[in-house]
Amino acid sequence: MCERTLVVAIIVLFCAPVLVQAQAPSGTAIFKPTATDPETAIKAAAEAAKAAAAVSASNWTPPRTSWGDPDLQGFYLSLSYTPLERPPELAGKPFYTEQEAIAAFRKAVEEDAEVDPRTVHYDWKEYGMDAWQSPVRPNLRTSLIVDPPDGRIPALTPEAQKRRAAARERNPQVSVQTLDNLYTRCITGNQGPPRLPFNHDSESQILQTPGYVVMILQSNNDVRIIPLDGRAHLPQNVGLWLGDSRGRWEGNTLVVETTNFHRERNWRGSTDGMKLIERFTLVDPKTIRYEFTVNDPTTWVRPWSVESVLPRIEPPLYEFACHEQNYGLMNVVKGAQVREAERAARKN
Amino acid sequence: MRHQVIIIAAAAILLALAATPATAQAPAAGLFPGYTPPRTPDGKPNLNGIWQAFVTANWDVEAHPAQPGPHPEIMGAWGATPGGQSIVEGGVIPYKPEALAKKKENLEKRMAVKVTNDPHRYDSGETELQCYRTGVPRANYMPFPFQIFQTPSEILMVYEYKGAVRTIYMDPHREAPTDSWMGWSNGRWEGDTLVIDVTAQNDHTWFDRAGNFHSDALHVVERYTPISPYHMKYEATIEDPNVFTRPWKISFPLYRRVEENVQLVEFNCVPFVEELMYSPLGLYRPPSR
Repeated sequence: MCERTLVVAIIVLFCAPVLVQAQAPSGTAIFKPTATDPETAIKAAAEAAKAAAAVSASNWTPPRTSWGDPDLQGFYLSLSYTPLERPPELAGKPFYTEQEAIAAFRKAVEEDAEVDPRTVHYDWKEYGMDAWQSPVRPNLRTSLIVDPPDGRIPALTPEAQKRRAAARERNPQVSVQTLDNLYTRCITGNQGPPRLPFNHDSESQILQTPGYVVMILQSNNDVRIIPLDGRAHLPQNVGLWLGDSRGRWEGNTLVVETTNFHRERNWRGSTDGMKLIERFTLVDPKTIRYEFTVNDPTTWVRPWSVESVLPRIEPPLYEFACHEQNYGLMNVVKGAQVREAERAARKN
Repeated sequence: MRHQVIIIAAAAILLALAATPATAQAPAAGLFPGYTPPRTPDGKPNLNGIWQAFVTANWDVEAHPAQPGPHPEIMGAWGATPGGQSIVEGGVIPYKPEALAKKKENLEKRMAVKVTNDPHRYDSGETELQCYRTGVPRANYMPFPFQIFQTPSEILMVYEYKGAVRTIYMDPHREAPTDSWMGWSNGRWEGDTLVIDVTAQNDHTWFDRAGNFHSDALHVVERYTPISPYHMKYEATIEDPNVFTRPWKISFPLYRRVEENVQLVEFNCVPFVEELMYSPLGLYRPPSR
């Protein structure tokens, strides 16, 4: 809850220009019972999960664009109640039964819906932005990480542990320049790549033209332009905050390989040598199966992989002008400086 | 990309051979004969590609001589402004007298950067300096390319500068929920011309670094007309009764970028302005070297 409160506080501080986005979140219908009553939402989500599983098991064939590529176009959400890493109490259990999955979903929804508005800066459900108010559904998986088989992020290499310790030593939060949260600095949004569930602004759009797939993220309005013509990556010295992506089709799956990450990006402690492979498959009319593998041998002792689902939502997206009025950044850094001064005073 | 250009060129020749003169568009004076652009699968002119303007309007939309930059003592010729001709029809923007005074004041204060929680801080300072979105039409004549992705229901424009993005709603049109930096765009085809109605822009952006400005009543109508496989004519009518005595028009060509494997190379300028914006507040400590 504490972390959520902090994140919420940051967001609300720099959200002034983004209010349009808060007022009219895509993917939620504020007056539908599924957006106002958790019980209705849980039932609808369980039914939707069942229906989706039935379609995807029925050899469903995704549509094609007029030029013959699989058609992934539409608007999708990356919210989820499934944790990234498998909780210790579920060790050895990668899958729930259907009933267990619904029970876990119910528990998460109820906790989310019962947030006391007095304890948070934003009560997301007021804005229709809680995950249960969206088409998020129960998941049979107990963690988003599917490899390693224990569902946990692999150990950091000794080199990565050293980097992390050195960063803590420097206390990067006390200066805008070193603040290690690109989202707070409005350099990138909260949606990677790769995409992991965040508790808001998880909407996105996929748009296709011959030779390209374009992904537009609501968060920070990040845009990924993915050429499909087999061209080489940019030279390695050209580092990009969103990386340099190349795509290809494997059957009905869009495979995107991303390299050339910016050396200061530091996604979960990774370096500019990180290589990302993402796979997007429309498995039923309302669901993209999203898989990715990250490999950065200087950071993790082995590659790791995630599988999640991106449910389809209603259009459109809105402008996310983050840097244009970033009060939150100023307040976060100022706050860190005050805390540091307090610590220094206590030492003396 | 080379293949694509060849295909586009070949398609253009075939279409040109097949086209009757009656379908020809009005080209820029004498530059190109009647041209019928290739089509997308849904039969519309195909504007997909990477485009760029080569005018100096980002420094000043009106005519201007070459000038030294604001800090010649350290920036030398790097910081200088190239001279250029006006993109405004008739040469000069028809300001109301009080608005002309404001434009001159803007020019004086263009380097002011005042980042506070004071909502009036946008009253001074040029927004490109602070890596803010530039609004429309300026985004189209920044010295950076932009890419058009065209579908039947919407057209996406992605600008290399700041990665700013605009969706042009073709079908259905959508209503602007509120003002924003890049405004709200609804489009339609008039013959081979893409016509975009741009509303709901906020009043923070300027047309250039010279202080030319508008209010939140700005209404822009853009026209994109392909005039060769490699060129579009860009025109925009600019209306803002709070600032101008009458609507006025700008026009310039957009050039297709045809290099092999050309792509937008991210220009995320946020980290480039953090010292400028936050150092005066004591929030920026240079990295230890």
